[in-house]
Amino acid sequence: MRRAYGAGRSATVALDDVELTVPPGRFVSLIGPSGCGKSTLLRIVAGLEQPDRGEVLVHGVAPAEACAAKMVGLVPQSPALLPWLSVLRNVTLPQRLNSGAARRRERIPGLAAREAAAPARTVQELLAAAGLGESLHKLPAELSGGMRQRVAIVRAFALRPDVLVMDEPFSALDELTRESLQDQLLALWEEWRTTVLFVTHSVTEAVRLSDTVVVMARGPGRIVETVGIDLPRPRDEGLMRERRFHAYEDLVRDRLRRAWHSEAA
Amino acid sequence: MSVAEGRTEEASDVRPARPSRMRFGHPRSPLAWLRPAVWLPPAVMLAVLAALWSWGARRLPYLLPPLRDVGSSLTGNPGYYLHNALATLGEAAAGLGLGFAGAFVLAVLTSELLLVRRAVMPVAVVLNVTPVVAIAPALVVAFGFGPAPKLIITGLICFFPILINTATGLRSVPQEVLHVYRSIDAGRIEVLWHLRVPYALPYVFAALRIVFPLSVIGAVVAEMSAAGSTRGLGTAISVASSMNQLPVVYASIAVLALMGVALLLAVTLVERRVLHWHDSAKD
Ligand SMILES: Nc1ncnc2c1ncn2[C@@H]1O[C@H](COP(=O)(O)OP(=O)(O)OP(=O)(O)O)[C@@H](O)[C@H]1O
Ligand SMILES: [Mg+2]
Repeated sequence: MRRAYGAGRSATVALDDVELTVPPGRFVSLIGPSGCGKSTLLRIVAGLEQPDRGEVLVHGVAPAEACAAKMVGLVPQSPALLPWLSVLRNVTLPQRLNSGAARRRERIPGLAAREAAAPARTVQELLAAAGLGESLHKLPAELSGGMRQRVAIVRAFALRPDVLVMDEPFSALDELTRESLQDQLLALWEEWRTTVLFVTHSVTEAVRLSDTVVVMARGPGRIVETVGIDLPRPRDEGLMRERRFHAYEDLVRDRLRRAWHSEAA
Repeated sequence: MSVAEGRTEEASDVRPARPSRMRFGHPRSPLAWLRPAVWLPPAVMLAVLAALWSWGARRLPYLLPPLRDVGSSLTGNPGYYLHNALATLGEAAAGLGLGFAGAFVLAVLTSELLLVRRAVMPVAVVLNVTPVVAIAPALVVAFGFGPAPKLIITGLICFFPILINTATGLRSVPQEVLHVYRSIDAGRIEVLWHLRVPYALPYVFAALRIVFPLSVIGAVVAEMSAAGSTRGLGTAISVASSMNQLPVVYASIAVLALMGVALLLAVTLVERRVLHWHDSAKD
């Protein structure tokens, strides 16, 4: 797949020759230097942009079709909540819009079976599980940054998506808040086992969360390495202090450094 | 969290009035007026102005009437001023309503159709800085002394600020919010109603604060230009000045000023209720 911005010699090739297959139910992180096209890749998967060449399929259908069936849950870097809606209504609004999606979902092969496997939870239960049970009727401005990002994550899960697409969702948070949100994301995900594409700049975060870490390089944006993380789940704090966890961190860091040098060469 | 947060759709090519904190227009808590630090400075200022006026009225009696005469004209004939004020207010409100409806519809079209935006916005920017009131006499010639020229003038005066602000507001939805709702393939009407219009509201109120006083000016100028009109404060002023009744002129102007303050207060109160979630409404 290839994606370029602009044309001719001044064009920026954001992604070139990128090929990636993500098995359903996997948690995959993308990591790489700034400008290597991670966000571009996510935007293409989320149907917000089209590739110039090549093809992207989400569970066998084109991104546009997947979006029309509300199979994609997007969590951007900022929470992107509507400031005039309460927490609860921020989560339920996307459920109510595009009401034709339910009909389109029925036509997606295999989706019904995957959906049946996902736990049946109401929005209230989801919000309560995310520690927002007391804040259902608060406005976003009354919440802390971490709580807002939780709402954004619940909003994505509440769509019962087939693919979760997250672009540095925790990068604006402090260390402790970030860890607690990672805990919650993992708890939700282990219950749900939906496919996740997660962009991060933090090696520790990538290793902790993922089944697979994809290392990218830029100029042009491409995938240089795919590192499988073979660690047991659930991954609690104890694991993060173990040697094998650090070994994976060192491995990913080493591959990142190599990606950096390969582009300098 | 504010509307300004995050990248917005496109750098705008026009400069609308920002929906900013407008301390000046906001009445604070009524209790604040009990504090001398709050009421003393404007009271002293008013006293100074009144003294200057009285001094001026003695030196230039053909320009400034004694304040006492202005006051007694107001208290002596309140029905006259009320009647004319209501006439002017009615014209201003009707014109504002028309201008608002037209501008809002066109703003929605510019936000939905790129071609309309390209065609309309540059022209709107030029017309916005054109003193539209100046066509009042021509309109009176064309439409006579009836309500038509008054409505057209006030409508036109309100039209462009509302158009420009609303069009900008409709496009002020942060990029990431749009991404979230496009990723669920929300329909255009849904995006318009659930995202664009609410995000535009602070801009609409900023425009209203500009346009409310303008609509009164438009109505007054239109009345003054129509030599045969019978009602309205503009008519009262032009008739009184031609008969050299200075107290009536200034009493009418005072009523216009009061009207302006009342209108501004009304917008602010409505804005506070509607935009309670927005920074500008919290003060
Ligand atoms: N709309 C655009 N127009 C032109 N160039 C763009 C556009 N969006 C991205 N690019 C370019 O494409 C390349 C990849 O950008 P992208 O945002 O995907 O990088 P990234 O890996 O997400 O970076 P970061 O880690 O800083 O978020 C960059 O060189 C960027 O300048
Ligand atoms: Mg990015």
